[in-house]
Amino acid sequence: MANLNLKCKIENPEHIMDLIANGTITPVEAFLLFKELDEKKETSPLKPDHEEKIEDILKELDGLIGLTKVKQLVREIQAYVEIQKRRQKEQLFSESLVLHMIFKGNPGTGKTTVARLLGKIFKQMRVLQKGHLVEVERADLVGEYIGHTAQKTREQVRRALGGILFIDEAYSLARGGEKDFGKEAIDTLVKAMEDYKENLIVILAGYKDEMEWFLRTNPGLRSRFPIQIEFSDYTIEELLEIAKLMVEKRQYKLTPEALLKLEHILKESQKNLNYDKMGNARLVRNLIEKAIRRQALRLINQKQISREDLIYIKSEDIAEIDEI
Amino acid sequence: MGKTTFLINFAEYLGAKTIEFEFAFPDGTKFKKKYPCKSAISDLVDENSHKTLALQGATLEIPVGKGKKKIQVIDTTGLIDGIHEDPKVRRSISQTIYEVLNSQMIIHIIDGSAVTKEDLPSSPSEVDFQISQIARLKKGYVILVNKMDLPGAEEGLKIIEEKFHGNVIIPVCAINKKGFKEVKTFVAYNL
Ligand SMILES: Nc1nc2c(ncn2[C@@H]2O[C@H](COP(=O)(O)OP(=O)(O)OP(=O)(O)O)[C@@H](O)[C@H]2O)c(=O)[nH]1
Ligand SMILES: [Mg+2]
Repeated sequence: MANLNLKCKIENPEHIMDLIANGTITPVEAFLLFKELDEKKETSPLKPDHEEKIEDILKELDGLIGLTKVKQLVREIQAYVEIQKRRQKEQLFSESLVLHMIFKGNPGTGKTTVARLLGKIFKQMRVLQKGHLVEVERADLVGEYIGHTAQKTREQVRRALGGILFIDEAYSLARGGEKDFGKEAIDTLVKAMEDYKENLIVILAGYKDEMEWFLRTNPGLRSRFPIQIEFSDYTIEELLEIAKLMVEKRQYKLTPEALLKLEHILKESQKNLNYDKMGNARLVRNLIEKAIRRQALRLINQKQISREDLIYIKSEDIAEIDEI
Repeated sequence: MGKTTFLINFAEYLGAKTIEFEFAFPDGTKFKKKYPCKSAISDLVDENSHKTLALQGATLEIPVGKGKKKIQVIDTTGLIDGIHEDPKVRRSISQTIYEVLNSQMIIHIIDGSAVTKEDLPSSPSEVDFQISQIARLKKGYVILVNKMDLPGAEEGLKIIEEKFHGNVIIPVCAINKKGFKEVKTFVAYNL
């Protein structure tokens, strides 16, 4: 608190306004008094509407199934940012925070979910002003004629300012080689990362092999994206946990037979050559959503429908993979 | 800093031919007046500081998606670090602070060319830092580093980016409307 020797106690905002007007306090002191007044009150113009606490966000992260290594890394990043900020406060040498990232992993392995949580965490830590996530892919960035691409890319960057620009299947930007407009998108992006380095985080996401190839062909990018996180496929057990959680959230339950059938289908799918493209948790979600619709269809023709009927998903409700 | 210049030219940039200001003075006087954008500049902008001593509200139309949205923008008196000797200025400062606390979005204008010259009245100071602390809790908060056409502004911008790390910062020139597109996008996305 500033060294203010006020003879009276501040009771309301109007009082502070008067003190400025009659020349008792400076604007800076006024702001400090407002803050002090504010801390005593529940609702006030100074407090954001609904701010989540960082512990709550980390709890949400912990609540995600699997992702052990990812969780560890996110905590590391959070701690690192916190310490750099404290060092800055103490005027110790602090590294400038470069938080652009590469996410490697198959579809449905939690990349977007984790990116969204990171946005919230960084907002809390005041690294990002808004912390929102803007998800884009090649088509949102690459245009049809010279100059169009730069324009489209800059537009997406503007949408993402203050938050995270999440580029899915980013390797496809290097697909067409030197002459392709994807190259222009990358260059524009790199420029934007310089221009807005204080308020934009870019995450490039995609399959592991493809992303590694992408980084090899664009060696300049590696140093601009110092954080790399690998998302491994979920195990069958984890996928079943995810399925249970999904149905519970919707107030359904799986019968033991349904669970067995689900396990069987997931195991079979793993043998499929295209498993990496089938979508892990996304595959589970599709199976569950389909099952809910099939259960409804089964029940609608039934004469009497009990509460139990409404809750349980039976094995016959679970579709085979090729039906999805 | 160029607050008034920015508001008038931004209105013009958004397609307005005229701009209607509603003046609200600290003593309670209120009136409305319509200006063509050009004469608004000559009437309301001055190189001496504390030209603006009323809250000057104007309604702007901003394109959002396919449609348009009306926003109420208020030009204010500049805030200073110390206690101003003129009671009229002090009262205007007081009502400006009230608006800062109660607005949904803050467009905070800093004179980029004055950053390295610490003795000018428009040099950024502790009060700017306090504003940023409060404003970053709002729905939208953006710092415009103005007068990018003047020498020293690039260096000023760098210093502001360091000092106000973590906020959205857009370099602009209120006179030649440079950077206005970014401002428009920022405002539209934060409504
Ligand atoms: N070179 C240059 N001058 C500018 C720019 N913007 C504003 N100015 C000048 O700065 C001076 C102050 O501009 P105003 O718009 O009156 O500033 P203000 O923040 O409203 O000032 P007060 O109302 O007095 O607090 C005027 O002489 C403007 O012409 C700019 O981008 N570049
Ligand atoms: Mg003015």
